[in-house]
Amino acid sequence: MLNFAIRRFGLALLILFVAVTVMFLMIRAVPGDPVQIMLGPRATPELQARLTAELALDQPIWRQLVIFYTNLVQGDLGIDVFSGRSVTEIVFQQLPHTLWLILAAITWSAALGIGIGAYAAAHPNTLIDRITAAISVSFVAAPAFVVALLSLLIFAVHLQWFPAIGAGEGFWGRLNHLVLPAFAIGLSWVGYIARLVRASMLEVMGENHVRTARAFGINERRVVLVYALRIAILPVVTVIGVGMGFLLSSAVFAEIVFARPGLGKLVIDSITTRNYPIVMGSVLISTALFVISTALADLINAWLDPRARAAK
Amino acid sequence: MNKSRSELGQIIRGIARDPLGLMGLIIVGTIVFCAIFAAWIVPYDPVAMNIQARLEGPSLAHPLGTDQLGRDTFSRVIMGGQVALKVALPAVFGAMAIGLTLGMIAGYGPKWLDNLLMLLFDTIRSFPTVMFALAVVALVGPSLQTVVFVVMATSIPTYGRVARTQTLTLRNSEFILAERSMGASMARILGVHMLPNIVGVLAVLAAMDIPTVIALEAGLSFLGLGVKPPTPSWGALLKDGYALIRQTPWLVVGGGLPIILATLGFTFLGESLRDVVDPKLRKQR
Amino acid sequence: MTDTLLEIDHLSVDYETARGDLKALRDITFDIRKGEIVGIVGESGCGKSTLISSILRLTAPNTRFREGEVRFKGQDLLKASERQMRDLRGADISIVFQDPMQTHNPVLSIGQQMVDIQHRSKASKAEKLDRAAKMLGAVGIPDAQARLKQFPHEFSGGMRQRIAIAMALMSEPDLLIADEPTTALDATLEVQIIERLQELQSELHCAILFISHHLGVIAELCDRVVVMYAGAVVESGDVREIFHDPKHPYTRRLIDCDPGHIKERARVLPTIPGEVPDLANLPGGCIFRDRCDQAMPRCANEVPPLEQLREGHHAACWLNHEEVAS
Repeated sequence: MLNFAIRRFGLALLILFVAVTVMFLMIRAVPGDPVQIMLGPRATPELQARLTAELALDQPIWRQLVIFYTNLVQGDLGIDVFSGRSVTEIVFQQLPHTLWLILAAITWSAALGIGIGAYAAAHPNTLIDRITAAISVSFVAAPAFVVALLSLLIFAVHLQWFPAIGAGEGFWGRLNHLVLPAFAIGLSWVGYIARLVRASMLEVMGENHVRTARAFGINERRVVLVYALRIAILPVVTVIGVGMGFLLSSAVFAEIVFARPGLGKLVIDSITTRNYPIVMGSVLISTALFVISTALADLINAWLDPRARAAK
Repeated sequence: MNKSRSELGQIIRGIARDPLGLMGLIIVGTIVFCAIFAAWIVPYDPVAMNIQARLEGPSLAHPLGTDQLGRDTFSRVIMGGQVALKVALPAVFGAMAIGLTLGMIAGYGPKWLDNLLMLLFDTIRSFPTVMFALAVVALVGPSLQTVVFVVMATSIPTYGRVARTQTLTLRNSEFILAERSMGASMARILGVHMLPNIVGVLAVLAAMDIPTVIALEAGLSFLGLGVKPPTPSWGALLKDGYALIRQTPWLVVGGGLPIILATLGFTFLGESLRDVVDPKLRKQR
Repeated sequence: MTDTLLEIDHLSVDYETARGDLKALRDITFDIRKGEIVGIVGESGCGKSTLISSILRLTAPNTRFREGEVRFKGQDLLKASERQMRDLRGADISIVFQDPMQTHNPVLSIGQQMVDIQHRSKASKAEKLDRAAKMLGAVGIPDAQARLKQFPHEFSGGMRQRIAIAMALMSEPDLLIADEPTTALDATLEVQIIERLQELQSELHCAILFISHHLGVIAELCDRVVVMYAGAVVESGDVREIFHDPKHPYTRRLIDCDPGHIKERARVLPTIPGEVPDLANLPGGCIFRDRCDQAMPRCANEVPPLEQLREGHHAACWLNHEEVAS
């Protein structure tokens, strides 16, 4: 298990290293003077000189990369050239908003998705199974930002059940502001997880050990909820890890539509003001988050499954 | 030619037997038809402004109303379908072709090359798609080509991995071993024997990928980072609608419904296609 | 007849399929007395599994009980409520399944599973664990207390089957159904498990319905045998009678084909030529006709009834009638 953990995180680090290098080279590969591009119309000689020194642009490219990594390891993503604040600080200030949104979306969509999937699998080929299957597929297909816009129109503008913009104050205020964005980005996950759990459950329910449990008179609820579901949700854990990446993407839209603070809003605002260090810093952090969550999900999965725990 | 035509007929008949598949077929057919004949269908020039008729509600003259520049929303919706397909089709086919090539190289080539390509795929997949798109747009600026490039780059790994797995499976199958023992060239093995077997699986993947691509194009355009105005994209329509959501809800509905319809239609069609072509794939999703 | 535990009475079971009704069991009749060991023997596909799942009513959704009764202590199980059935399962009737590798839940510890099946007992969890450990010890698993924490994959196949037997016997059932419990194991393990089963049976005095296609094991263990072919009983009776004086050609061929009975070192193991008939489309006459080397014209036209030849020996073959006639 420990071996597996080390290998899995080693791979995560390697991927992250390649990803960051690719991003670094991408910036340098853009034709034109990077300082000019980064500063755009606001370039002044002083700013240009400062940025050139900071990015070590007068050095050969491998030196630049070394300097970049040295800074990165120390948690230094550079300085926002306009405000003079540290990029790390700015990104981490916005990050919690995005993380709460993603957490809320995963929680409600996994809970509902597992419920629907397990119910459908326990009653295969009934009318309800068919209806939930059709609804699930429709949910999967619905793009998050369209759902966000339509729910904004219906629930915030027309019905005025929930606030339209912002992140809210205090616990209940924040929660109230989370409802619509979390609904919008979680909806397709309900369908996705429901389908996954249904397929996985049907497979497990056909396995011999379920027949054994029934042959011992263990009540059907326990057979479904403990004996089968414990195994059937294992793939869901992995999918939720991968889902972090998708949710980080959808969160961008939810933050724009509902004018919420967060990583996505930060990136979009920075693109319009051509604040490249912040764009790159945010993309880097979100990539790291994604890579780590995928690795973590694999580990949790292995830990939950005694067979894998032993094999790895 | 005759054989493949009858196979195609069989596939379509198979899809039409499934109610959701039939629905998908009708929706996708309508969208494709409207996209091809858009120029003849649209009642107004989708980019022509008419300041007198701005922000009108739905009426007989303008079934979906007009936007802040007096452009006919219905015409822009029809034209937007053309734009969506113009992005989705080249992006999906490009990604499929490149993914197929790289995947077959990874599956058939030396081990080190396989490892290298897999690391590359894993790396690309490690970027959250929209974040990666934003980084690229930030660097090279928004345009239709940028969207196509981003979509292609991010979906190559999916095709690549599937093509690799298929190649590895086929590589050790009886009939390929027999071919090899008779001294068939690599080109012959890859081109004649493996390619047709892999393309079928990838085509199903591609069909299921189209809704994702349409949504991504619309999403980027909604953020103002996709196709440039005044090109009528569904996402751009939503962007205008969002700004005026309290005054003119029909803009959001007019831009949102076609996206949902298109993604639903392509999803239904893709799922049905998968069940008809390869029922075994069902378990993998 | 008061000591009769289980009576299968003219039981017919179909599976509804797209090809039409599959006649999996036809007119099955036999009984098991208290404390008796009855063996069922037959090739795969003869309806053994359908019979077991019918007794426990753990049948696939497309199963249809067409006729007959399954009486346990006088109660017809086919008419019992689901609630009543659940009360019987794992209490009065227990089962050991065929494949020990898949019979336990892979993500729950053995201890947890053995506690779970004692769901009817009011004892504390610690007491239930103690009982589980005692039972594991009884089937010959060393260091049982410690191994309760382990998961199924940490045990070998033989161990797992012992655990399955321990679990089945924990409630001290009146009837234990053993569905080819040793088929997946190698020969030495088979002998050990059978011996253990015999010991436990003489201790607990439960009846056993033992399903196998291995005649040697049946001869060793059972008091009586039921020979099944293509969903029907072709012969039944006392073990010694059946083995020494089989009255159905199928039984005779089975005995000839059993590796334990081949005295001379045959180069090729004998097999019964031909295939089991299609259960969805049964031919008229005797079902074994096509594979029988003694078939007569009469066999093609009339189904031979299962008839008593002697006290406790039944067979369904026209040959026995010819003997009487001549």
